[in-house]
Amino acid sequence: MGATVRDAPVIEAVDLRKSYEGVEAVRGLNLEVPAGSIFGFLGRNGAGKTTTIKVLLGMARPTGGGVRVFGLPADSPEASVDIRRRTGFVSEDKDLYDYMDVGEMIRLTASFYPRWRADLAQRYLRAFELPPDRKVKALSRGMRTKLALLLALCRGAELLILDEPTSGLDPAVTEEVLQALVTHVASEAMTVFFSSHQIAEVDQIADRIAIIDRGRTIVSGALDDLRENFRRVQLVFDGAAPEVEFSAPGVVRVRRNGRVLSVLSNAGAERVIEKGRAFGAVSVDVVPVTLKEIFLETVAAED
Amino acid sequence: MLWYKSWLETRWRFLIGLALLIVSATGTVLVYPRVAGILAAPPKVDVSGEIGRRVMEAIELSRDYRGYVWSQWFRQNMPQMWVLFAVLIGTGGLLSQGSGGGALFTLSLPITRQRLLAIRAATGLAELVVMAFVPSLFVTMFSPAIGQSYSLGDALVHSACLFIAGTTFFSLAFLLSTVFADIWRPALLACLVAAALAVTAEVVREFWRFSVFRVMTAEIYFRDGRLPWLGLLASAALSTAMLYAAARNISRQDF
Repeated sequence: MGATVRDAPVIEAVDLRKSYEGVEAVRGLNLEVPAGSIFGFLGRNGAGKTTTIKVLLGMARPTGGGVRVFGLPADSPEASVDIRRRTGFVSEDKDLYDYMDVGEMIRLTASFYPRWRADLAQRYLRAFELPPDRKVKALSRGMRTKLALLLALCRGAELLILDEPTSGLDPAVTEEVLQALVTHVASEAMTVFFSSHQIAEVDQIADRIAIIDRGRTIVSGALDDLRENFRRVQLVFDGAAPEVEFSAPGVVRVRRNGRVLSVLSNAGAERVIEKGRAFGAVSVDVVPVTLKEIFLETVAAED
Repeated sequence: MLWYKSWLETRWRFLIGLALLIVSATGTVLVYPRVAGILAAPPKVDVSGEIGRRVMEAIELSRDYRGYVWSQWFRQNMPQMWVLFAVLIGTGGLLSQGSGGGALFTLSLPITRQRLLAIRAATGLAELVVMAFVPSLFVTMFSPAIGQSYSLGDALVHSACLFIAGTTFFSLAFLLSTVFADIWRPALLACLVAAALAVTAEVVREFWRFSVFRVMTAEIYFRDGRLPWLGLLASAALSTAMLYAAARNISRQDF
């Protein structure tokens, strides 16, 4: 994937808002998904992930702000058809037609996509061990997920949107699905945008993430950059940690525990260390932060 | 393939309805010799009141085979059963499928909601055309078996009137299915409306002149040989308006 292609965002949301009967599900969400990225969309249950995805695909209309996919307005019914022609989608419930068999589902989906990859469909049918003549309603949850993934991957899409793709799957099937996804993306030029609250799987396959909470983006960026920038600084004092407001740039959360002041920063450790020394810290310890900690701390900081 | 999908979704309602209507049409024809035999004896019914008048009217109509077919089939059995299945075929769709029922998969396909709805409506209407014409053709086909004949032209005209006017109930159920996210409320409400209109037309004689059921039965054609053009046009316009409202409604929905 060339640098020029990577520069153009495939998904761009600016101050996106969506309310359902007065309840704000998404409130001022900003998002930029570069082309060619595997973008993890993290958030707690009810954070607004599924609503955002529905807006991207024209299933729900935004009540405010703007969202563009491939540079097209997602809230325009005409543009939305074009967006969906270029997008593969797997819903959280692995929404399929129970009354059809696997072969019928494949033929139906293929009929909508001129770039349908029949060769890939055959390959995934074998790899996922999906029986073509079995009714969808008779498939296990794992098989259903694999079929939904097959139908999304073979569309010849430029963008893959997956809403909680591994929810409800056992670890073995989860691993199989993730491996299939990574292998597919490695061989095809495409962008993947997937929502999850499974931090481990996001950590495993994403190169960029956004963490949202209560309908707003609270952290966004390249995963490597976040790992680089997020630091936990443990400041140890002679006596009790001072009851001062710790307002250094990038400070996300401060915790006091006896003589220890634990500061989470998203802008490196230097400024925090400086400030800590100024308050009389006798010992400073800087530790890297895992994605799980970033998620838990930033979400907790919003509470 | 969307046609196929719509067919799969409605096929059992259609096939069961068609089978019942064919059985009913055939039964109506085959039972005529017995009816004619009974009518040969003087009727022993109380002919006072509206019910008595109707019984006498039915008896008089049944002395002639064309009158019997109209009275028993095109005025009674056929409209009642056909409307029920028109309502059942009209219910369902995107809103009732909801999350987990295939709606999100459908909405992820590169197709407008209007086209989705149009294909579903067209599939339903095609099924209703078959349900209107095929059983009536059985009447024409089986009449020689009892030594009678029924005009193919009459069968076609009555079936066409039934379909055009009766489609209003399909369209009503179709519209209600874009309002309620289940299949029962649209079906029950549409059936209630049909029942209320039918009962009102039967009880209030003045209302019968303007009733959609009078258009469906093509009474004017049976009695005078004229087609109920005004009623047919009004029914078609009402159906179109309801289908349009359904399309507008579904395009505004969030899923």
